[in-house]
Parts: sequence; structure tokens; C-alpha cells
Amino acid sequence: MKNRAIKGMVCAGLLISCVANAQQYGEVVTGNQSLANKICVTCHGATGKGNPVVGAPRLAGIEPWYLRNQLIAFRSDYRGTQKDYIPGFEMQDSVARLSDEEIEALVAYVDIWQTEENPPSISGDANRGSELYLLCAACHGVNGEGNEVLAAPGLTQKDDWYLFRQLKLFQSGYRGAHSDDQIGQQMRTGIGSLETEQDINDVLSYINSLN
Amino acid sequence: MKKRVTRRELLTMLAATGTSAAVLNASTALGMIPDTSLNLPEIPRADPVNRPSIVILGAGISGLTAAYELDKAGYDCVVLEAAPRAGGRCMTVRHGDLIDEVGNPQICDFDDDPHMYFNAGPARIPSSHRNLMHYCRTLGVELEIFINENKECYYQDDAMFNGKPIKNRTFTTNARGFMAEIMAKNFSNDELERPFDQYEAEALISAMRSFGDLDANMLYKGSFRDGYAKGGYIEHGEQRDMVALHELLKSRFMNSALSANEGETGPVLFQPVGGMDKIVEGFTRELRNKIYYDVVVTSVELRGDNVAVEYEHDGIKYLVEADYCFNCIPTHLMTGIKNNFPADYLEAMHHVRRGEAYKSAFQTKTRFWEKDDIYGGITWTNQPIRQIWYPPHGMFKEKGVILAAYDFGGGMHFTRLSQEERLETAIRQGEKVHPDYRQQVEKGITIAWHRMNHMLGCAARWSSSFGGMSAAEERLYHTLQAPAGGRHYTIGDQVSLHTAWQESAILSAHWAIEDMVNRMGGTSSMPGRRI
Repeated sequence: MKNRAIKGMVCAGLLISCVANAQQYGEVVTGNQSLANKICVTCHGATGKGNPVVGAPRLAGIEPWYLRNQLIAFRSDYRGTQKDYIPGFEMQDSVARLSDEEIEALVAYVDIWQTEENPPSISGDANRGSELYLLCAACHGVNGEGNEVLAAPGLTQKDDWYLFRQLKLFQSGYRGAHSDDQIGQQMRTGIGSLETEQDINDVLSYINSLN
Repeated sequence: MKKRVTRRELLTMLAATGTSAAVLNASTALGMIPDTSLNLPEIPRADPVNRPSIVILGAGISGLTAAYELDKAGYDCVVLEAAPRAGGRCMTVRHGDLIDEVGNPQICDFDDDPHMYFNAGPARIPSSHRNLMHYCRTLGVELEIFINENKECYYQDDAMFNGKPIKNRTFTTNARGFMAEIMAKNFSNDELERPFDQYEAEALISAMRSFGDLDANMLYKGSFRDGYAKGGYIEHGEQRDMVALHELLKSRFMNSALSANEGETGPVLFQPVGGMDKIVEGFTRELRNKIYYDVVVTSVELRGDNVAVEYEHDGIKYLVEADYCFNCIPTHLMTGIKNNFPADYLEAMHHVRRGEAYKSAFQTKTRFWEKDDIYGGITWTNQPIRQIWYPPHGMFKEKGVILAAYDFGGGMHFTRLSQEERLETAIRQGEKVHPDYRQQVEKGITIAWHRMNHMLGCAARWSSSFGGMSAAEERLYHTLQAPAGGRHYTIGDQVSLHTAWQESAILSAHWAIEDMVNRMGGTSSMPGRRI
């Protein structure tokens, strides 16, 4: 396998020094597909459609500024440090060593993926959810369109299974608990109105209806 | 003080154990060997004028098997592989190789020497795996004996002998002795004699005596099977002291020490000379121009009369349309690739869980185990590393590659650690078996299959309980085994009832080929079509 592995690395434009544990992915150009193939597509899918089986959210259609914020949050140990939440620490390990330039390259590359709708997977009471959503709307917009100024992502382009999981993570303090993570803290404070799993299902059903 | 159990109570407990054991999936729990008769697919020669086209996704063992057999029969085959190498989990690591763990890439720095390799995936070939043996024979893969059980290796359990390791021979000899004595004592009871006539009873008593090396009074008082404490050749041998049964009973290895090397891990096992990937080399040599590497499949579409596969390579998109598709991409990754599979087929793919196996290895400065009479074999420990494997090859050479941890399932213990923590943990735990371990090992590597690029998992897990597949799981399994749209076959050990073995990957490919041939209907091997 030796020759092929090395040839493959050269093809991918990677500069991995010959030490037992290479720390850096090396130089990349903007929108580098090789880097995305190396660390994104195995989990998130070759077209960024996401893969609930491995807990990887849809990236196609994600706001570039939101993706950048999250990559930085993972790199800064705001997210993914709890070892008992496997998708989180897998993501954390995958991006922990990325440079600013590499993050920009990935954000630019992911932006070319076309938005793909995945079918909803959650059922709840959308009418009740519409009332619960009133508080969410302050940041995320009346139509779930998001608000970059408030660092609040759009909700309608996110898969409901992923939103469900993130709300649970905010509730349990796995997101938004780091003292330096001001954006996360803001969301964690805001989620106080959603107390039960039924609340979450209802509000997500309403968000699904906004699509 | 712990409650002592009477002999009668112990027998009752044994009976109860027997009952629950029968409930367990016997083939797995007892390590029995499934039927794997040589089952090569009979493939009619393809029509050379209108050659059926086959696109094979993934160059794992099942994909290579399908490509090899169908190519040989004249089908028009291409294999698309995401990685820069073939083999999938059949992976041997040597000097300079990349271990492509997402977030933790490593370059192996072992000495560049033919015997300095590590089989990071499958490492053993049971002689009963006739189909894999067939391909080794056919592809010219030279095999050598692999040693699984070695009585000179150790059992180490923190609960037993204050954590001090004892030799396998000490553990098993004494365990058998005590068990035979207990059997013999109870056998003399009238009620237990009743089913046997005198000849049968004598035969059984004789077998018990031999099983445990009991004395003339049917008592166990130690055995030369545990080796001589001293002498034995020119001077009379001195027997080792027997160990305390109560110490052995503290260890969970009492449950497994006498059966760990039965069935598929019993003798005789083989390994390819020079590394397990010699099998992959054998296949790829035959399929020279059929395999395309660094290919990212972006879409699989079932159409009425073919299967359309879109992929990217070097930033350019391509489309392949083929009559049939054989797909060994792990199901948990296929769910992230655009497709139009039927809902029940996707439900099955979503059900299968990712395996979590983990291995690590060190190069060693000396073959220190040989000074301890160890040549091949496995040491067992109750620590998370679970096992240490000593290489059966490279005997008497200066260095070797030792398996330092093998967590074969259920544990993400090591996967969650950083590279440095993984290696330090392996050293610390290895020191409990070999006190000078830290001084002996260097250049460690780790393979967390849950994180390996293009795979993200080890052997698929179908059953969500130890009791085996539920009826619903059985239904999902058969759904995934059958071709989607009559043209797309998911293959690999992931579509077998006996995952984790290369034999299962091969048999899965054979099953799919036979099914396809049957669906094609024609057994005529004449060119053209009937008119």
C-alpha cells in the first residue's frame, strides 16, 4: 500500500511531514476540494446532504458565516469536548488543527454545494409550536430566516433531527456553556422557554411548516 | 465474609448456566464454526458482443471478489474506490504508510524491513474459511501458520493474584484440574452414576482424570502440564505448586480461558507471509486496469434498466451507467450519498450500527518476548487494551511489531483519547504484563476504525441485543441483501450474519453474483441474443 498512499497524499496536495503523528494538513488554496474530501465528505456526504446515521448535519445550504463560526467554536473547544457525545468529539478532533486559511478554504468550498431538502422526521403540534416560536423569532426571524448580525442561523435550511439534537445539547449544557462562547451562551439562555421534549418537537414541527 | 457455595449449590449453578447458555446465540457465544463450504459462483460466460456492464463501488474484499469473478467471466467491470488504496479494512501498515484517521493522520515510522508490518484489520485466516483459502491458493498468496493460543503467554487480571500476570499454562492447567476434581467427586454420587453402565462410567472417570491430570484418588494436586519448576530432563523434575482456585475464580477469564481458542480462533489459523494485504495485492494484480482510486461517489440512481453512478475525481464530475451495481460502501456512509433507494432499503441501511474496533501497535527494540519462551500467541488482560499479540513471524530477528491493544468491540475507550494518551495508556497497561515494556516499545501507531477515513466504522452490527437478531432485524437484513431495483447489490461482511470476517465479505459477493446471474435468466453462453 505504501506507494499508493504516498502518491495519494501528493495528489491531494498535502504536506504531511514524516513524523509518527502529522499535526498539520498543510497548505491549501481557497475552496480546496481535496481538503474537503479529506475531512468533510466521509461524514457529511459527497454533496453535503448530511448523514443522520453518523450524526453529521447537512452542510449544503448552510450560511458561510455560520459554518465559519462553528468551525472556530469546535477549534476553540466551545463545542465537542464532551467525550460521551460521539459526533461532537469526532467533529472536534477533525477540525481542531485547522488554520484560519484552511477554515476559509472549507467555507468557500462548502458554499458551492446546492441546497438539498431532506424529508422531515419529527412530528409535533405545529400550532402549539407557533406560540413557543415567538421567543425564537426575536433572533432567528419570523420566518426562520436567521440573522447574521445576531449570529443566529437560519432554521429552515437545517434538518429537524439535527435541530432536535442541538436543542438537547444546549439544554444539557453541552453547547453554550464555555465561558468564552458568548454566542453559545446567548442561545443557551434563550432556550429556557423550551422545557420538555414535547416543546422541542412542537417548535420543530412549526419550523418545518415554515419551509 | 463471602458466602461459600456448597458442591450441590455449585452444580445447581452450573445447570442454570447451561440453560442460559442454550438461550444465547450458540454459534457466536460458543465460537462455533458456521458452515462455509466452498461456494464459488457459477457464472455463464458473458456475451462478448453485448457484455453486461458492472460498476463496483469500493475495493474492499467483497468488491474485489465480485470484480475478480465477473471480470474472469467476461463482464465489463470497473471498480471505483474512494481511498488511494484498495482493501478497505484489509490493511497492512508498514514503514511510510499513511494511517488516514480523520483528525489524526499518522505516518508509520516502523523500520523498513519486510517482517516489520502490522495487520490493522483482519489478521487471522481460519483453515475452515474455505473460500478465502481458495482465493489465497488461486492468487498465489503464500500462507504461514498464525499462532493464536500460546501456553507461554499470560493472563493478567487486576482482580487475580493482585494483578500479577500468570502464564496461560498455569491458568488453564489449574482450572482444568479443579474442574475435573469437582466433576469426579460428584460423579461418584449414586444419582449421577445411574445413567451409565460400568464400562461407560469407567470411560468417563478416565476422561475426567485425564482432563484435569488428577491423581489416583481423583484429586488435583498440580500438574507437570504447567511446566517444571526445575529439572525434568537430566535430573528429576520438580512440579510447580498448584495455584489457589479462589484466585482463578476472581477473574472473568475463568469464563473464557478454556474456550478462547475453539471454533474459528482454534487451530489451525494462517496469515499471509508479509502481511494480510498480500490478498489485496493478489486481487489487484488480476484487476490491474479495472480499479480507479481517489474517486468520490456523489450519487447512485436506480433507473429501470440500469444504475447511474455519479462521481468526482480531481475536481471533475463523471457519470457511469451500468447494468448492475455491486456496492460495498459502508451502509452508514451510503446513507450520506445521494440516492433513490426504496424506503425499506434505506430503513435497513439506517438500522445497521457502526463497529468500534480499535487496534494499536509498537515497534519493539528487541524481541523481548522470546526471552520469555513466547513465540507468537496472545496475552489476555482485563485492562482496556484487552490483548497483546506477539508476532509469529520474524523469529530471532532483532526487532518486531507487537499488537499493543485490541479492543474488538463495544468500546470507544481508546478512540476518544488523543494519540499521545492512546500510546501512553497502552504502555502503562502493557507494563502490568511485561515490567520493562516502556523501555522496549517505540514508534507506536493506532487504528481507531470508527474514525478511519472512507470507512468510519469496523464490522457492522445488526443486532441490538446479545440474543441475536430480532424478527424485525431479520426482515431488514433480507431487505438489504436483496437487490434494490433488481440491480443494486449492497455487499460486504456488512450483509452477512457473521460480520468481521473476510470469508463473510467473499460469501456476500458470491451470493449477489449468483442472484444476479439467476435474474439475468439466461444460461446460454453464446454470443448475441436468441432470435
